[in-house]
Amino acid sequence: MHNLLFFLQFDWNQLRPENLFGGQILERTPAGLSIVYVIGIAVLIIFLLLTFLSNFRRPKFTFEENLPREVSRKLTTTLANRSLRIWQFIFIFLAFFVYGFHVYWTYFADDNNEQFQALSYKDLRNRRTNAARLRGWMLDRTGKLGSALAYYKLEPDGDINRTFALEKEMAHLLGTERGTPGLERSLYRQEADATPEAWEVLTRIKRPADEQRDVKITIDRDLQAFLAEQLKDKKGAIVVLNPQTGDVLAMYSNPSFNLSEARTLEDYLKLEGDKRNKPFLNRAMREYYVPGSTFKTFTMVSAFRAGKQNTTLTSTPEGFIPFRGSRSITDANGGCEPPFGCTTLNIMQAFEVSSNQFFAQMAVDLGRERIRETAGAFSILAVDTPEDALQAGFFPDIWNASNDRIKNALAPQQSTIVTGSKISAYDIGLEGMGQGYAGQMTPFQMALIASAPANLEGKLMKPKIELDLPPQMFSQIVTPPQAAQIREIMGLVTEGSGGTATRVFANVRAAGIRSGGKTGTAEKQAPVYDEKTGKLKTVKKKRRNDKGELVEYNAPVMYERTDSWYISIAPLEKPQLAIAVVVEGGGYGAAISAPIAARVIMKARELGLLGEEYRPKTQVPKTLPTKKKGKTK
Amino acid sequence: MKHRASTHIFILLLVVALTAIAHYSIHYGALIRGYETSPLTAGRNLFLLLILALLPIFLSRFARFQGNWTLYTSAVLLFSIGLTVQYRLFSDPEYTSRKDKAEARQQKIKTLQLHYIQENYSAEKKQMMGLPATPPSPVDLSQEKPRPVEGDLTDVFLSGRTLIPLFSIACFLGAFILFSRDDVLTFLQRNGFAVVLLTLVPLLLAAITSSAGKSIGNMTPWEPAKIPFLIGFAAILSVLYKNLARTYWGVPRAKDVIPLVFMAILPFVPFFVLKDFGQMMVFSAVYATLYLIAVRRLPQRFVLVGSVALLLSILIVGALPEKTQEKIPLLPTLASPVKKVLPDRIQQRFHLWLDGFNPPTPETDWWKEDYDDYYKELVKKDPNLPNLLEEDPNLQKSINIDAWFDVLAFQPAQATFGLNSGGTSGRGLGLGFVELIPVADSDYIYAALAEELGLLGGLLVIFALLTFVSAGVRTALDTRDMFSKLCVIGLTAFIGFQALVNMGGITRALPMTGITLPFVSHGGFSLVTSFVMLGMLLAFSHRNAVDINQVQSSKFQVQS
Repeated sequence: MHNLLFFLQFDWNQLRPENLFGGQILERTPAGLSIVYVIGIAVLIIFLLLTFLSNFRRPKFTFEENLPREVSRKLTTTLANRSLRIWQFIFIFLAFFVYGFHVYWTYFADDNNEQFQALSYKDLRNRRTNAARLRGWMLDRTGKLGSALAYYKLEPDGDINRTFALEKEMAHLLGTERGTPGLERSLYRQEADATPEAWEVLTRIKRPADEQRDVKITIDRDLQAFLAEQLKDKKGAIVVLNPQTGDVLAMYSNPSFNLSEARTLEDYLKLEGDKRNKPFLNRAMREYYVPGSTFKTFTMVSAFRAGKQNTTLTSTPEGFIPFRGSRSITDANGGCEPPFGCTTLNIMQAFEVSSNQFFAQMAVDLGRERIRETAGAFSILAVDTPEDALQAGFFPDIWNASNDRIKNALAPQQSTIVTGSKISAYDIGLEGMGQGYAGQMTPFQMALIASAPANLEGKLMKPKIELDLPPQMFSQIVTPPQAAQIREIMGLVTEGSGGTATRVFANVRAAGIRSGGKTGTAEKQAPVYDEKTGKLKTVKKKRRNDKGELVEYNAPVMYERTDSWYISIAPLEKPQLAIAVVVEGGGYGAAISAPIAARVIMKARELGLLGEEYRPKTQVPKTLPTKKKGKTK
Repeated sequence: MKHRASTHIFILLLVVALTAIAHYSIHYGALIRGYETSPLTAGRNLFLLLILALLPIFLSRFARFQGNWTLYTSAVLLFSIGLTVQYRLFSDPEYTSRKDKAEARQQKIKTLQLHYIQENYSAEKKQMMGLPATPPSPVDLSQEKPRPVEGDLTDVFLSGRTLIPLFSIACFLGAFILFSRDDVLTFLQRNGFAVVLLTLVPLLLAAITSSAGKSIGNMTPWEPAKIPFLIGFAAILSVLYKNLARTYWGVPRAKDVIPLVFMAILPFVPFFVLKDFGQMMVFSAVYATLYLIAVRRLPQRFVLVGSVALLLSILIVGALPEKTQEKIPLLPTLASPVKKVLPDRIQQRFHLWLDGFNPPTPETDWWKEDYDDYYKELVKKDPNLPNLLEEDPNLQKSINIDAWFDVLAFQPAQATFGLNSGGTSGRGLGLGFVELIPVADSDYIYAALAEELGLLGGLLVIFALLTFVSAGVRTALDTRDMFSKLCVIGLTAFIGFQALVNMGGITRALPMTGITLPFVSHGGFSLVTSFVMLGMLLAFSHRNAVDINQVQSSKFQVQS
């Protein structure tokens, strides 16, 4: 009786499949039922085969009994039946042959079939699983949900869309879903298996999923937006690093694009086809510029590394002639830089006034080997011939990142310098002042060059984008006292009487921030585009081909573009910023780029990025920045 | 274990129960994705299976069936697997609807996203998104509002998906009763040649009216032509095989050879016109099977094997992708005349088979037309494209890849990705993305099955098929006259080879040809034909058993 009662009280709901297989994870129910189905049918087929095999032999007919072997072997039925059996074996073999291919596609194609791997992005299932499994949110360095850079938004029509706070300002960093990958496609840990099998669903999947967590990145949302404002209507790039940790605080390249504009193929092609503005090109990391005088910082660091910082060199009115018969290297105005004039200069004076003659002589004095070695420490590729320099690729290893996908997505184009014995001492001299064969530098590289002496220990820190990673050193550039010395010399540019940026930085100084820097002005050959059509302008030229025939070809029309450069570190006592600014066709470094750097420093101060002691005492009224934001949107 | 009808009824009832479980799994999987499955359709499927499960009672009681039940049970098992996969596909609004496909897809994605958010997002995040601020919690499906099913009782029960199987069952019974009779078989055997000519009628009609292996929509009305072809050929061969053994200087008489050559050419011509190369392959395989079983002389067998090998090598040489050809010296020169003759369709299929993940260059003549169409569509959207192409040669390459995977390779590639994602145990019924494969219910049903049930599911089909074929071979072994023997093995071979050609096409062991998987695929004429063939096989099996029983009882009498 008691048993019957118990039976009646039994909760039949416990037998519902949801409860049998673990109801919290919805997928477990169908997965478990499917496995039950497969096993059940398999058992039935085995059962069926058994009943079939147990009745396999048929009884013999009367006439077949007692026949001599020789006769029965030659009977038509026997012959045909032998063929039938052979046919059956062939069929079974063929069936397993076909099944073998099924096994191949499930187990081996992933590892062995290269074309299959390469084109597996064509699998629409990826898109479906990605769409359903939301990425984590991307938070800026404050880590607050409110200042998320990438998040999901519920649209009024009920769709859930990935939304970006700085869609245009961070487009290059975030990357498109279609072309070169950026943070969006590399930052989130991909699940080991996005398409789990039924038994994996039953045994492995956990809820809530612990993957896809939100990621904090080092970008400061307000500073990034500020950079975009600064480069409005200009072509160029700004990179802001923290030299102590390697944090990338902000990085912007203009012209940029809206990520939402690059979703469909047609829009994407349209943007890709804009060869004049190249909106997809991240100028901060993947465009070469001639660094001009800013590269003298590199030469100065080389001199310190070689112990030649106390060498004095003489400037002459006719310029520096590296070897007999060579052209001369003069200062910017043709003679010697004022206010010191043609005298013997030490490295501090030379850096303050940006003396070409001094740094050209210094480079020749240092020699190829030392330049090559310093370049290596700065992650610059030192090559033997100018042709080799054209072969430079991306350099992902500079990044301090948790995985290779991030490194590859953000890999900068590697800057190059030619140090082989085939180029003359004159060329080495030009390199010392950032011209000639040192003319393939990225703004990102220049920010790294600025950041090494700005580091209190004289180290070049690997840049990083993930906030929670511990800092890593790329190389020890100089000793800590030398770094302090270099910082002081860089300070002369904004503080010395002859400093090229002294006037521009007046308000920064007034705010109590000491900063250092270096201006640069460099000419680069650039193609001309038609104003109206936006097409490349070409002229027909003739040349001889391999067979010696004259052939006509279209040569692009080039003009000399003067790029404006400024690299900066601030505050000088304990630098928190290393900035590189380049504006294409901007003219003198002090005219355009240096003021931008000054404004960036002031903005960073306002945001508290320089440290609490530099924060303005009287708060700037908050309406101002929001107003600006409204304009940019 | 006795070989009784009751054993098989028991097995079949279990199949019905398991199919019910599978249908529930699909129903649950659908709820997870935010749509409902039709309980009516599920009921219809179970009802059909139940008829098939209880049919043995009728057959053994009233028709006094004594033959081999294994044939029947394995065929019904395949049919039940097919019904299950079709239920999965036809429940999915994304798969079935033509107009609001994109909307249905979007709705499914949205449901999954909301589930993910509910399970994983913190209350703060939900609030920021404008959702009710609840802590991460499991989803309760009973609270959801899934997309409702379309169609009511009459829709379901008067649709082709109900009527065609019912009609097939009727045809199955008719065929069984018809072919159990001695006089019918004798008549057919005597008039073999006339029966063969019957074959030509539907084939020629179809050849005139159709294109690309399909006629009037997706129908293949020449499927039933298999049966007269087989009976006629078996009748002819059962007479000729003795005459062929009589040779003059090693050569048989012309009047014995000509009918065979005629039969060999017969299926080729209409199918070449129809461009249905799958059926051509199946017919040739059946022809070869019957010939090799009936003909006794070794040289005569070699003639067939040799000529088949020659034909195949010519075909393969002609249609191999260029990259493979270049690896072997002299091959490109040999292939160029063949290439000109071969239809584009064969060349496309061969490329898809051997080099499917490697798009051909846009200059390839059988691909140029499709590529140009695709390109023109793109130019319509973006008139600036030709200029871009001039500047960037890599762009054409990527457009070519896109075109290849959007036009010709879309279906096979998605099927292969499906096989790959299925793994060993499959994604689970209702949890895969089989709706991404176009026409997965007929030609590509094996891919859908492999994605959701995995390698094990594939093994089920293979073993059910092997059981069927072995039972067929057993029946053929037991027959006493050559005509029945050839008929039985021909029927078995038709079903077996058609299944292999279909599965081989999907697993890329053979070129994809677009024929159905017997009993499993959703189909009209092909399903009816398969069931008629099953009825014939059972009839032959029944005749064997009756013969043996008579012999045994007479033996008993003699001994007593």
